Amino acid sequence: MSRVITITSGKGGVGKTTSTANLGTALAMQGAKVAVVDADIGLRNLDVVMGLENRIVYDLVDVVEGRCRLRQALIKDKHFSDLFLLPAAQTRDKDAVGPEDMIALANQLRTEFDYVIIDSPAGIEGGFRNAIAGADEVLIITTPEVSAVRDADRIIGLVEAAGKGSPQLIINRIKPRMVNRGDMMSTDDVLQILAIDLIGAIPDDETIVTSTNRGEVAVLDRTSRAGRAFSDVARRIAGEQVPMPTLEDEQGVFDKLFGMLARRPRGSER
Amino acid sequence: MGVLDGLFRRRERSSDIARERLLTVLVHDRVKLTPELLEQLKAELSAVIARYVPTVDPDTIEVTLFRGELIDHLKAEFPLRRQR
Repeated sequence: MSRVITITSGKGGVGKTTSTANLGTALAMQGAKVAVVDADIGLRNLDVVMGLENRIVYDLVDVVEGRCRLRQALIKDKHFSDLFLLPAAQTRDKDAVGPEDMIALANQLRTEFDYVIIDSPAGIEGGFRNAIAGADEVLIITTPEVSAVRDADRIIGLVEAAGKGSPQLIINRIKPRMVNRGDMMSTDDVLQILAIDLIGAIPDDETIVTSTNRGEVAVLDRTSRAGRAFSDVARRIAGEQVPMPTLEDEQGVFDKLFGMLARRPRGSER
Repeated sequence: MGVLDGLFRRRERSSDIARERLLTVLVHDRVKLTPELLEQLKAELSAVIARYVPTVDPDTIEVTLFRGELIDHLKAEFPLRRQR
């Protein structure tokens, strides 16, 4: 049974494209046949994050408008022969496709792949609606910041109203030291506010920047903490029971002591 | 205020401030009550109340959204003009 999963966020810049690239690659590493789809028409980026920008001939709009067959537009990944990218058009705008086109596309991809991962544009307009139209499930990405969490709340409402069920949450760019100091909302804080299921907590990690610079994805780098966290998310998507590590444990004794001093007494917390 | 005061005074955790602000904003977002709609609500409420309680001053009506422990609520206050 193949699954179509859309990754969205509301707010821009919280890690949708990075998550799509990493989860798609991680699922392929597990042996699944995966297509990642860039639904951000006019602002194509999944290709550069995966280092495939030089191989694009056709794009999603070409497929929808019948200028090529789906197979011709799919670009094979550099590392995994069962991982393919369907790039977005760069010179068109979001109105070039409609929800029905995206449903038809998703159903066509479904026949060939175990997983179809769709990278949604930011926002709540047409592009976002197109991106979720063909999805069976939706993953919401947020960071532990007020603006991102607020937008995530809005998006959750829209996803539920669209009949896609309750989405699952990935909290990205968590800085454990700041959380311990009381200067960043914790995973629990965000979960309590958004009240949906958590499928991943990704630590803030500079290797994401360096791997993106090179057009590689972090899950290929065994030393990347964010990469390992994304691999865990991919295993959870596949149905494995993977414990959610508490990121706060990764810090030193000094930070812990400092965190305790800075914290208010337990009783007054909630 | 000495240096020691600064050192020992408990700084309010900015993550707590973030959480509180978010929860308050989300009460409004989720109810979808815009400031314009709130004004309209107040105007209509005052018209109804005035029919029964003429001593209500329409300019003093307060309608506020509150975040509660278990449920959120909309609270309206209608101060009455004192009469002899």
